[in-house]
Amino acid sequence: MSNRANNAGGWLKGKTVRKGGMSSTNAHTTRSSTPQVQSTSSTVFGGGVKDASGRTSEYFSMDDQCPVCKSDRYLNPKLRLLVSSCYHKMCESCIDRLFTLGPAPCPICQKVLRKLAFTPQTFEDLTVEKEVAVRRRIAKEFNKRREDFPDLRLYNDYLEEVEDITFNLINEIDIPETEARIEAHRRENAALIELNVRRDEQYAQALREQEEQERSEREQRALEARREDEIEREEKEKGRREIIDRLETSTKDAAKVIAKSRAEANKRTSARSAATTVFKSNAQLLRSRAAQSTTIPDVPHVPLQDDWYAYEDMYTLRDRYDDMYSEAVRQDREGIMRAGGYQVEEAWERAVRSAVTALYLPPLSGVSNTPPDTTSLPSDSMLVDSV
Amino acid sequence: MDAVEKANAERQKRWAKDQKIGEGTYAVVYRGREASTGRKVAIKKIKVGQFKDGLDMSAIREVKYLRELHHQNVIELLDVFSSKTNLNLVLEFLDSDLEIIIKDRSLVFLPADIKSWMAMTFRGLEFCHRNFVLHRDLKPNNLLIASDGQLKLADFGLARDFADPGYKMTCQVITRWYRPPELLFGSRYYSTAVDIWSVGCIFAELMLRTPYLPGETDMDQLKTIFRALGTPSEEDWPGHTKLPDYVPVGHFPRTPLRDLFTAASGDTLNLLSKCLVYEPRRRISAKEALHHAYFTSLPYPTHPSKLPKPPSQHTSSSRPLEEVDGNVDLSGTGPGVKAASSNANKLKRKLSSPIDDLRPLARRLDFGLGGKKP
Repeated sequence: MSNRANNAGGWLKGKTVRKGGMSSTNAHTTRSSTPQVQSTSSTVFGGGVKDASGRTSEYFSMDDQCPVCKSDRYLNPKLRLLVSSCYHKMCESCIDRLFTLGPAPCPICQKVLRKLAFTPQTFEDLTVEKEVAVRRRIAKEFNKRREDFPDLRLYNDYLEEVEDITFNLINEIDIPETEARIEAHRRENAALIELNVRRDEQYAQALREQEEQERSEREQRALEARREDEIEREEKEKGRREIIDRLETSTKDAAKVIAKSRAEANKRTSARSAATTVFKSNAQLLRSRAAQSTTIPDVPHVPLQDDWYAYEDMYTLRDRYDDMYSEAVRQDREGIMRAGGYQVEEAWERAVRSAVTALYLPPLSGVSNTPPDTTSLPSDSMLVDSV
Repeated sequence: MDAVEKANAERQKRWAKDQKIGEGTYAVVYRGREASTGRKVAIKKIKVGQFKDGLDMSAIREVKYLRELHHQNVIELLDVFSSKTNLNLVLEFLDSDLEIIIKDRSLVFLPADIKSWMAMTFRGLEFCHRNFVLHRDLKPNNLLIASDGQLKLADFGLARDFADPGYKMTCQVITRWYRPPELLFGSRYYSTAVDIWSVGCIFAELMLRTPYLPGETDMDQLKTIFRALGTPSEEDWPGHTKLPDYVPVGHFPRTPLRDLFTAASGDTLNLLSKCLVYEPRRRISAKEALHHAYFTSLPYPTHPSKLPKPPSQHTSSSRPLEEVDGNVDLSGTGPGVKAASSNANKLKRKLSSPIDDLRPLARRLDFGLGGKKP
């Protein structure tokens, strides 16, 4: 598409790019942002690239000339060029003239266009305009994240594929094949795409809420601070008046009276500052936790921290036992015990384990007080298979 | 004085009783010290005279099981002695419990903190289960926190050992909000899975900072559970319609846990959903839970000494042993303030994020259809 520059006349040479510029010599030609755009058409053209605050700023140059009717800013100060879906520019009056009666071919490349498919131009270079549009479209469909892949390699492969597709679309290489690839991806990952869209929305929502909350907390703190200042000021005023009163009535040494009042006032302020609740933001609380975590390192999880010997090597449990005690469970025709979660296996295990428990403990003898050494026992020689 | 009395008097001398710190239906709790070392203990004096048929059942249970169970994550019974007609249990002194911590809005929980508490809970429970003891009253205020941050299971007043095949157990156990559906349906034959359900509810409560399934009556409890997790089908839970107290409660659709726990990781929700499986036999066991990927994945569980603690010591020490009242409150609506239903929707999402405080605490969650609107 780099050869489009030839078709587009001298627009690439436009020198003055003013986006919201105030240095305009000609006040009525300033197009800072969409609401103030001067337009000769009754149609409202949407789209374009929005900035962070949600406004669209339009590209504008003194050398603008419509490549179709050759009208320029000198002839028509209200000239506004819009971009078609095939990335060709033309002025609003040409668009009105050519497309009011329905879809018609583009006068430059003959692609059939509709009037509403024209968008305001944001970037001077139309290839940038195109790339932004393509990337925006691709990002909507190819929104997988790192956690959707089992390893980094697969994720990187995926990113590379996305970049491939984007490049092809921008440079119009193998368009049908690329579109087929996009379609295939959409079909295969419909659920995941949907999920990720919702995740993004949730994340944005959470961010908004957090911002809102932090703002209200800040306001709260400011209010608190103002109130405190007020109280402090009053207190000071009162203290000063008190000193004067005392000096008037008291017969003591003036310096002593003042010192005493001062000390009292100090005591009052310190008591007040201790009593005021300290508002801490969540971020602060989290930070203090993080600082704390450097002192003792967290260790990986160990499932069981005691080395408990359950005589596992001394028995093997069978799948079923036909004893008279568990007869009740077998006769449970309606499955009431089953549904309640009774596990006869636990009872079996208990019985078998109790049977082998302490089998090899040496008999107590009054002489030795040392605990029996379990490691020396012949653990594998006898496997009790209780019935 | 015979030998038994002499031994008892000796034991009694080992412990010094200080001020009273709490009173329940069948016991009074005092703060105490070990006379020789000055180590802090809690002395639980059980009122014997009041009961016509001898000692209260829960006291017997508590002594019976705590004498046997010694584990880092189970409260330690240090001694038992009698004074006049009373029975005294000397227990480890613990500063606070998980309920105080959950309710303290000035504390921020990191996902790693929750992981650490859950690991300690499962370890304590696994120890009980491997020793064939069912706890049957797990809830945040029975999970006490020691000064070094270790969490300990307490209140074995409702505990019992596994039943022999064909023996009935009572279904009137476990505080309602933490009671599994099989007990609500009146099952008399159950197993370790009942405790796992309670732990699942506690897990959810740690994330939400409000009780997960707060039913007002036993019927309402079932409805609350089904509203949150969907009504079970015969396939989800074979045979549940045959349980003694089965009643159809109405059909609620299954909603993904993700809707409520928006900030939780996949592993977290996987473990939570395995604890809250309807069919008890398919519910995860404590041992399996400890080997679950949730615990091994990053972040590592917080070291117990760094876990959030309530800031002031004197407020918490006024009620160190919430297990004073060993009996389940079967009639009351349980602790809690009801938030107006109009702001319940709003709070629902707010509460699921771990970063919020200074906000009025809603004690109820709304699982109704109205609650789903963003």
